[in-house]
Amino acid sequence: MEIIFITGKGGVGKSAVAAAFALNRAQLGKKTLLVELGDQSFYSDFFNLSHVCYTPVNLKPNLDVALLSGQESLKEYALHLIKVESLYKIFFENAVTKALINVAPALPELAILGKITSGPPRNVGPKMPYDCIVVDAYASGHFEALIKAPQGMAQAIRFGPMGDQCRSIDAVLKNSNICRYYVVSLPEELPVVEACELASQIQSTLGVKPIHLLNRCLPINDEDLHHQESKDLQAFQKRMQQQLQHEKEFLTRLQTENHNVFRLPQIYQVDPWKVVETLAQEIPNA
Amino acid sequence: MLKLLQEADVVVCVGSGGVGKTTVAASIAVLGAQLGRRVLVLTVDPSRRLKTTLGLGDQGEITKIKDPSITGELWAGVIQPKQIFDDFVRRAAQKVELAEKILKNKLYIQLSTTLSGSQEFTAMEKLYSAYESKKYDLIILDTPPTKHAIDFLHAPEKLSVLFNEKISKWFRDPEGKDRGLISNLLHTGTRQVLKILESLTGSEFIHELGDFFFNIQSWQSKLQDRTAAVHRLLVGTKTHFCLVSSFDEAKLKEAEFFSREIKKGGYQLSSVIINKAYPKWLDPQLNAPSDQQRTGNTALHSLWNQMTDYYRQKDTCNRSFAAKMSSRCPVLKLPELEHDIADFQGVKEMADVIRQVGVQS
Repeated sequence: MEIIFITGKGGVGKSAVAAAFALNRAQLGKKTLLVELGDQSFYSDFFNLSHVCYTPVNLKPNLDVALLSGQESLKEYALHLIKVESLYKIFFENAVTKALINVAPALPELAILGKITSGPPRNVGPKMPYDCIVVDAYASGHFEALIKAPQGMAQAIRFGPMGDQCRSIDAVLKNSNICRYYVVSLPEELPVVEACELASQIQSTLGVKPIHLLNRCLPINDEDLHHQESKDLQAFQKRMQQQLQHEKEFLTRLQTENHNVFRLPQIYQVDPWKVVETLAQEIPNA
Repeated sequence: MLKLLQEADVVVCVGSGGVGKTTVAASIAVLGAQLGRRVLVLTVDPSRRLKTTLGLGDQGEITKIKDPSITGELWAGVIQPKQIFDDFVRRAAQKVELAEKILKNKLYIQLSTTLSGSQEFTAMEKLYSAYESKKYDLIILDTPPTKHAIDFLHAPEKLSVLFNEKISKWFRDPEGKDRGLISNLLHTGTRQVLKILESLTGSEFIHELGDFFFNIQSWQSKLQDRTAAVHRLLVGTKTHFCLVSSFDEAKLKEAEFFSREIKKGGYQLSSVIINKAYPKWLDPQLNAPSDQQRTGNTALHSLWNQMTDYYRQKDTCNRSFAAKMSSRCPVLKLPELEHDIADFQGVKEMADVIRQVGVQS
């Protein structure tokens, strides 16, 4: 079982990278689920799908996509625990419960993480028949809050089933044989600064070393930039040389934090599927 | 855009994460101050570098920014959700002991930092108290990063249900001791629900939850008044929304959806800014490649062709988007500058670009 979390600053291309990861694993023959979080689907716009919801829909061979909302995850977990349908109905159709679930501190976050980590070794709730789950996770600050939720709750609520669940979710998140964390950034100042901070937060919270992905790098080699070019391309050539130099500096900065760094190329395609298919060829293996 | 900055009381910059909202908010604030107005820009957790360059402290205080180009005043502040929430509790609770009790509640600690909606609530709270102070002619609010632009408008609703009187009563008096017999019978269902919740979460959680609701009892009405006042301000005629989007199809689709929702909610959407629409040095109109470039066969030639094709295709999407939107509000396209914007100089440069683009359109 492999669970891959993709995070990073907003706008760095997390969703496309997550989709590329999922497609890459599916093409390697693994049953893969691409997961997005929240109440509204991004992938339905991105892939032009009519419907992305809690129940996975098939996207490509071996590849399904689902939208996990806190409410739906909690509902499933509650049904699993309460078992009796009628009691469960009383519970969930109560107006107060509905309102509470929307806002109760950390409950939706916990339910989502509970669902993602419901496979072995925890084996909670209905079985999810996947070898690999790729999570298009929240951006930096919100992601930190997400991975801290089980620890924080387990400390606040020491007794009872909630505390137990929190501890077991936390243990899976810390297990580097199951969970991997990829921090996406761009060869630009602010995304790199945020990526470095986020990576050290992940490491200090979970004790797992995340991997950096420097996205949208120039798809050209250094040596290809030093030929004699016709006059009208010389300004462009100079600009590309400068940009490649910047990229190298950013790569070095990410590496000095003692993390693994992979470069992902900018894909000059407008069609999302073409972007994801091309990017899938560049994705690092486990 | 310039007219807007001269007339508005409040401009709210909305948009999904990573589209450059903070930069746009800071730039239009500079522009407003250059037009002679007293401007305050409130941003949510910008990177430390932007914070140091703008000379902002860590405590969330509002700082004056000085620059020769500014004829009015420019003030900037960073929104610190935890601190604003705590301040609000202290003011609302009146009694010091009561405030301290809430601040120590474990669930409150989670709520004020991680709860969905708390950042949005504090952003609006800060906006309103700045507005009430009457120290500024124009306030620019940079909203918290959300997955979807629409999340910002829904967040306060989500939070305000928490302070709904009914929920609180239920937790403050789960056994129904204060109620008569009939009312007690009616509440049997609710008690059952509470039992289920307890079996799901544990009694300690329920205890903390009850404690929390008991303590916030005193400031519920204040919070609801505040939410209503903020709403009045947001739908007012002198408050304008500015939607910042980036140049890819899914984001543009979202922008279209959002512009409909924002009007439905009674808010004024006054401009759409498409940020980083094209690299400044590769304007698809200005740089049509010659035949000679097209037939070159080096790797650099092929990269040039790929890039220009790509931006030309994107430009087509953008035009159809602008055509669809133009009946609703003006669309401004901003280029991607040659270097990152990470300092005040960059923000000023962006302000110049917005001024130019704003005059042209």
